[in-house]
Amino acid sequence: MAKFSKTKRALLIGTGVIGGALVLGTTLAWSRVASGKNFKPPVKAGETAFNAWLKILPDSTVVVQVPRQDMGQGIYTTLAMLVAEELDADWSKVRAEQSVVNPVYGVSVLLGDGAPPALRPAMMALGPVLGLQLTGGSASVRDGWMPMRTAAASARAMLLSAAGAKWNVPVTELTIEKSIVKHAATGKSAAIGELAQVAGGLTPPSTVNLKAPKDWKILGTSPARLDVVEKTLGKAQFGIDVRLDGMLYATVKHIPYVSGHLQEVRWKNGAPPKDVLHLARGDNWIAVVSTSYWSAKKALEEAELVGGGDTGTVLSSEQLAAQYNEVLDGKNDGVLKPLRRTFGEHGNAEKAIASVAKTQRIDAAYSVPFQAHASMEPMNCTVQIKDGKVDVWVGNQSPTVVQWLAAGNVGVPSENVTVHTPYLGGAFGRRIDLEVIRQALACAKLTDGKPVQLIWSREEDITHDAFRPAVSARMSAAFDDKGGLLAWHHRIVGPSVTKNVMARMNPLVAGDFPPDFANADGAAELPYALAHFKCDHAQVELPVPVGFWRSVGNSYNGFFVETFVDEIAFALKKDPYLFRLELLKDQPRYAKVVDAAASAAQWSSALPKGWGRGIALVYSFKSIVCQVVDVEIVGKDIKVRRVVSAVDCGTALHPDNVKAQISGAAIYGLTAALKSQITLKDGQVQQRNFDTFPLLNMAECPQFETVIVHSGAPLGGIGEVGVPPIAPALGNAIFAATGKRLRGLPFVLG
Amino acid sequence: MPTTLTLNLAPVTLNAPDDKPLLWALREEANLVGTKFGCGIAACGACTVHVDGVAIRSCVTPLSAVAGKQVTTIEGISAKGPNAVQKAWIEHQVPQCGYCQSGFIMATTALLEKTPDPTDADIDAAITNLCRCGTYPAMRSAIKKATQLQKAGG
Ligand code: FES
Ligand code: FES
Repeated sequence: MAKFSKTKRALLIGTGVIGGALVLGTTLAWSRVASGKNFKPPVKAGETAFNAWLKILPDSTVVVQVPRQDMGQGIYTTLAMLVAEELDADWSKVRAEQSVVNPVYGVSVLLGDGAPPALRPAMMALGPVLGLQLTGGSASVRDGWMPMRTAAASARAMLLSAAGAKWNVPVTELTIEKSIVKHAATGKSAAIGELAQVAGGLTPPSTVNLKAPKDWKILGTSPARLDVVEKTLGKAQFGIDVRLDGMLYATVKHIPYVSGHLQEVRWKNGAPPKDVLHLARGDNWIAVVSTSYWSAKKALEEAELVGGGDTGTVLSSEQLAAQYNEVLDGKNDGVLKPLRRTFGEHGNAEKAIASVAKTQRIDAAYSVPFQAHASMEPMNCTVQIKDGKVDVWVGNQSPTVVQWLAAGNVGVPSENVTVHTPYLGGAFGRRIDLEVIRQALACAKLTDGKPVQLIWSREEDITHDAFRPAVSARMSAAFDDKGGLLAWHHRIVGPSVTKNVMARMNPLVAGDFPPDFANADGAAELPYALAHFKCDHAQVELPVPVGFWRSVGNSYNGFFVETFVDEIAFALKKDPYLFRLELLKDQPRYAKVVDAAASAAQWSSALPKGWGRGIALVYSFKSIVCQVVDVEIVGKDIKVRRVVSAVDCGTALHPDNVKAQISGAAIYGLTAALKSQITLKDGQVQQRNFDTFPLLNMAECPQFETVIVHSGAPLGGIGEVGVPPIAPALGNAIFAATGKRLRGLPFVLG
Repeated sequence: MPTTLTLNLAPVTLNAPDDKPLLWALREEANLVGTKFGCGIAACGACTVHVDGVAIRSCVTPLSAVAGKQVTTIEGISAKGPNAVQKAWIEHQVPQCGYCQSGFIMATTALLEKTPDPTDADIDAAITNLCRCGTYPAMRSAIKKATQLQKAGG
C-alpha cells in the first residue's frame, strides 16, 4: 500500500483522529475551491471542467460532480441544485455524475458532528486533509453547502468574464438566466456551452458572493429528481447490475454463529461439486466462484461450515437482557464489564430524585432489540484485478475507504485502484462495512484477471448483518410540589457502534477508544427545561457485530426519552402535547414544530372508539421532527392509520424530497416498531429472510401528512430524522387507546 | 437443457439448467438486469415479471416452466418509452433508492390490465411487494393516477 494512504488510514481509524485534529491548522475545505489551484475532474472531449465540482459541455449541459452516494435520499439532485442555483443554470440540462476519489471531496461537517463539542472545529478542519468521501450522518448537504455553491458562483463569474471580454462590455452589465448569458443593452446573448471553453481557462475569482435565499430560483422548489426516470424505466444501474466481459459469479456462506472462526468445511459428498471453479476462505466464511450466482449458491448448499459457538459467545437475547439489567443495577463485575461514562449533566439529578417522596418520582425501564438493515439490494461487490490495476464496483458509503482497503489488500498503490460507485439499492448505514469487498477481492485474486461479482443471499444478509444493537435503559424523574418536572436521570447500556465499525475496518482498533457520542445521541442534549439532568452510558463489548442503522443512537434514545416524557405527562395528569409545550417554554423553535404537528393533526379532535393518538418530538442531525400518530386497535392488532409530521430542517431545499424522506424514514421505523426484530438464540440469528423478518407493506402503510416549518436556522439533515419519533409516537398512541404502556420494541399487545 | 421462450416479444433460447430460476436466467443469460433479486423466496416481489400477462415472481419460477411462453420484463414494457404506470410514477416522483421499483411497476401494470379501476382494497390485495425505502404513499397516488392516464388512453 502507498505510504500516504497508510498514514491517512491510521489517522482516521486509530485514536489519532482526535490528536491529529488538534495539531492541524484551520484551512477550510471550501477556501481551496476558489483558489483555482485545486483538482479538476477527468474530462471527455469537448467537456470543460471549471473546478472539482462541475463541468460544462458544449451543448450547455452542466455535469455536477457528486462525491456522495445516492441510496435513495436524493442526494444527486439536492447537491446538483446547489450548483444549478449559483450558476443560474437551466435545470432541464443539469446532470449529476459520481465524482472520482480525491481529497478535495473529503467530508468536514460529518467529522465535526462525530466529535466531542470542544473538538468539533478542529475535526472539521481535518476534513480536507483526510480527504474522506463518506456518506452518512445526514451530513451531505451540510457538507456540500459552502464548497459546491462557491464552486458554481466561481464558474458563473468566469463565464461572465468570458462573455464580457468577447463582447467588450462591462461584466457588471451581464446576467445569466437559465444558462443563457445576456447583455441587455446590446441584446447580445450566448449559451454557457458556447463560452465554457474560454471561460474554463480563466483564473477563478479570489472571492465570490453567494445568493441570498430571497433570490433563489431553484433551491426551495421541488424540481424533478435526476434519478427518477431511469429508476422508473428499470435502467438505473446498481452494483448488482454490473456486467463485464467474461465475468464470473460468487456467493458466500458464513459460519452459523454471529461470532467465532471457521474451523472446517464439510462437503456433502466429501468434495466441492463440479460447478465450483474456485474457493476462497476467510476468517468466518467461504466463497464459491462459479459461472453463475445460481450454481455458486447451489454448490454452497452442499457445504457445512463448522466453527463458532465458543464458550462465552453463544449469546441468547434473553441472556443479554439479563446481563444488561445487571449493568443497570450497578454491577461492574458480571459477564459484561461496562465502561461507564456520563454524556450530559447539569444540576444534581441523582440527589434531586433521591430526595423527593415516592409519590413524586417515576421510574421506567425500556429496551430495544437488535435490528437488521435489510436494504432491498443484497450486499454485493464486483472486482477485477488485472495488470497491477484493481477495479471495484460496489454500492458503498465511502469510496475513499474502499480504495484504501483494496490498495492494501492487493498490495498496489492507491492510484492503481479505481472505485466505481453505481446507485445504492438502499444502505441505511449498512454499506459502510467492508466485508463484502474483502470477500470479492479474495475471489478476484483467484481468477486470473477475470472479473468476479460476489452476491450475498438474503439469508446471509439477515443473519450476518452488522446490527443496530440491542440497548436497554432506565429512566427516573422527580417532580416538585406543583407538578413541575424537576430532575431527569437516563441510564443506557449498549455497545459503541462507532468503535465496532472502526474495529471491523481495522483490527488495530481495540481497547481504548474515544468516547462515542453516538451512544447518547438523542439522550445527552434534550430541549426540555430540566433543573437537574444526567445522562449516563455503560458501554459494553458484545460478541455480535453492530453497525450504524438509520439515525443510530437516536433510533433507541428517541424511543426511551419520548415514551418517558409521555409517562410523566400521564402521571401528572397533563395532556402530553401541552406538557411538552410547557417543557419547551424557553425553546420557541421546538415549540413551533410541536404546535405545527399538533395543529395539522387536529390534536384535540375526537377519535372513534378503539383509536388512540400519540405524539413525540426528537431533535437529531440538527433537525427537529415532531410526529403525531393515530392508531386503531382491533383485537390485538395494532393498525397505524395516520402519521402527521412537522419538520424544521432550517430550510427545506427540496420540499417534496424532504417529505418523501420523512415518510420513508417513518415507514422504516414502523417496521422496527411493529413487525421485525433480530433475536439471538445460542449465538445464532433466528431470522433468515423476509418471511421471518417482514417489512411493513402497502396494506399496512398509514396515511402521511408532512408539514415543513421554515426557521431559516442552519441546515439540518433529512435522511434519518424521520425515524426516531415514530416508535414513541406510536407507543404513546397505543397507550392512549388501551391504557397499556409498552416499553419494548417491537410492540406486541398481550 | 436450452429453453425456448418469447422474451419481450422476441423468440430466444436460453442455455441454462432447467431448474435455474427465471430471475437468474434473465439477469445472467439474457443480460436483462432490470428485474431484481431481493429475497429468492417469493417474499418481496423485486423479481416480478409477466408470464403470459400474469405477474409472477421469477425467483421461484424455474426456467423450464416458461418454455414456449411469453415473458415480459421491465425492459419490455419500457421499450416504447414509459407506459401509463411509469408516467404516473414519474409524475409522482415515486422511487427513492429505486431497487424495488421494477417489481412494483410490473405488479401494478398487471393489476391495471385486469382491474382498470382498482379500489384501495384491490391495491392492497394485489401489490404485496416490499419497499424498504417506504415509497408506498407515493405509489398509491401514482397507481390512482395511472388508472386515469390509462383510461385517457395514455
Ligand atoms: S426476489 Fe423474488 S420475490 Fe423477492
Ligand atoms: S425505493 Fe428503495 S426499496 Fe423501494
